[in-house]
Amino acid sequence: IPGVGLKFYLQFTTVNYRSGEDAGSCFATVLYPKKRSPPTVNIKCTYTRDWKQIQEEDKRFYQKLTHQSKPIIANDIPDSHGNIEHALLPVWGLAVAGSSYIMWEKSTENLGYFLAQVKSARQQIRNSKSVEFEFIVLLHEIPTQKIIRCHMHLSWSFGHPPKVRYSCTSDNDQPEDGSGMELGSDAGISHEREENF
Amino acid sequence: DQVLHIVPETLQQVQHLQHLCSTSLLDLWKPLLPEDIWAGHDLHIRVPAPLVQEVKDSLDQHMISYKVLIPDVQELVDQSMPRETSSHRQIPEGYNYTKYNSMEEIYNWMAQIQKSNSELVTQHYLGKTIENRTMYYLQISQPSSNAKKIIWMDCGIHAREWISPAFCQWFVKEILQNYKSDPKIQKFLQNLDLYILPVLNIDGYIYSWEKARLWRKNRSPHMNGTCYGTDLNRNFNSSWGSVGVSYNCSSEIFCGSGPESEPETRAVVQLIEKKKSDILCYLTIHSYGQYILTPYGSTTKPPNNNEELMHVAQEAAAALMGKYGTSYKVGSTSLILYSNSGSSRDWAHMIGIPFSYTFELRDTGTHGFLLPPEQIQPTCEETM
Repeated sequence: IPGVGLKFYLQFTTVNYRSGEDAGSCFATVLYPKKRSPPTVNIKCTYTRDWKQIQEEDKRFYQKLTHQSKPIIANDIPDSHGNIEHALLPVWGLAVAGSSYIMWEKSTENLGYFLAQVKSARQQIRNSKSVEFEFIVLLHEIPTQKIIRCHMHLSWSFGHPPKVRYSCTSDNDQPEDGSGMELGSDAGISHEREENF
Repeated sequence: DQVLHIVPETLQQVQHLQHLCSTSLLDLWKPLLPEDIWAGHDLHIRVPAPLVQEVKDSLDQHMISYKVLIPDVQELVDQSMPRETSSHRQIPEGYNYTKYNSMEEIYNWMAQIQKSNSELVTQHYLGKTIENRTMYYLQISQPSSNAKKIIWMDCGIHAREWISPAFCQWFVKEILQNYKSDPKIQKFLQNLDLYILPVLNIDGYIYSWEKARLWRKNRSPHMNGTCYGTDLNRNFNSSWGSVGVSYNCSSEIFCGSGPESEPETRAVVQLIEKKKSDILCYLTIHSYGQYILTPYGSTTKPPNNNEELMHVAQEAAAALMGKYGTSYKVGSTSLILYSNSGSSRDWAHMIGIPFSYTFELRDTGTHGFLLPPEQIQPTCEETM
């Protein structure tokens, strides 16, 4: 779009992050404003699984996290050899969801990201009303091949999308902060998707 | 999946259990049929993992007590499978191809492989790394009077891509293990020699084991030892330094102080230059992304034999997908990935090797460089 940026129309299928099973499909438009981030995204998805079931699983996960007697603390997910402890898979999922906000905000038409590793995860038990975690995540930046280190604070109240605050550094760069993507409805994004693992 | 042990007490409980079994299609181990469920008699049911919580909740709701007889059915199944014994004389006893092996293990493995397969395998000196470690490649060659064409494959040019050296080791094992029984392999080796370099960037690989798992480059010192590493896959003399690189040592895509500035690069170049008229195919193995990449990265202008290059790659991708459904994208680096110069693949093609490919193995970002060891076998099998 002359003077504005590049707009892409996408149709894609999704799979469950853990099982690889088909999870549904989406239509989306992505607008990259000239040389800036973040891109503007509009997206609509259909899900293969029953919505109620997903919500119920989420609820159970949420209850479990908010009723921990000891905070969950873990490092290196996956470890150097690619292993993830079964019990930590949901924590990994939470980090994946949170990191996706960071990656979205930083993406441009020339820079893309993947989550390389969760360096550390520390739950903060404040009250039973929300799930709070401090993460350190490593992002793999393409095509520079850089590894970006981000401190991410994730806060999740059931029934709302998780809120993410972050601060990233990569060797030479100045630290860049952001408070990710608290998704409002005017962005037209189906944010329920982000809650579900 | 779990197996639950229940002893129903009342007719109501029996009825509820019968209902549960038939509506949820649970796997009755004892008795065989829902109609044979009786009060006071043992009931064993296998509940698929996704239903475990739901079923337990339902039992609780109906005040039916249960015991977990088997907490993890898969675990039991795995344990009861006979371990695959390496009864093959040729393959080192107990070498584990389904885990990531350290450089020390790989060095030992190379020596062993040559020793126990001396009719086919010879280990050759290639050169030295910047930290003075020895680089070896394995030559798999059927003794014959006629000159043969060569297929070259190198792994581990980027330190953090651990699945790559794992694949080279697997490849060698597969060829040697099945040589006697597989006519396809015999035919292959009648006319072709295989040169395999299991780890190109040895210093980097070791560094990723000991110090920094996500290290990529080699370990050459710059700026008085305040900065380390050249990206070996930007260091070859193929439009060196022109695009997709950095001239700054602190970058992961630092192309070095000049083309072939690194000893690892020179070691590979020397050998390939010498044999180039006999080399039919150059393969270099990376991760991740699931691509088969053709030249060039430095320009979108297609190579002279592009049609054939693409056709062969597409056949390979189709065969790969046939194994486990894994999908690979095929195309020129500059078109489907990003621009870069100084890659070994581009260089091999530019000096006249007709078939030159970069493989980016599993996955597409879920685990990235940290691919779980359970995926080593399927990745290698499908790529084979």
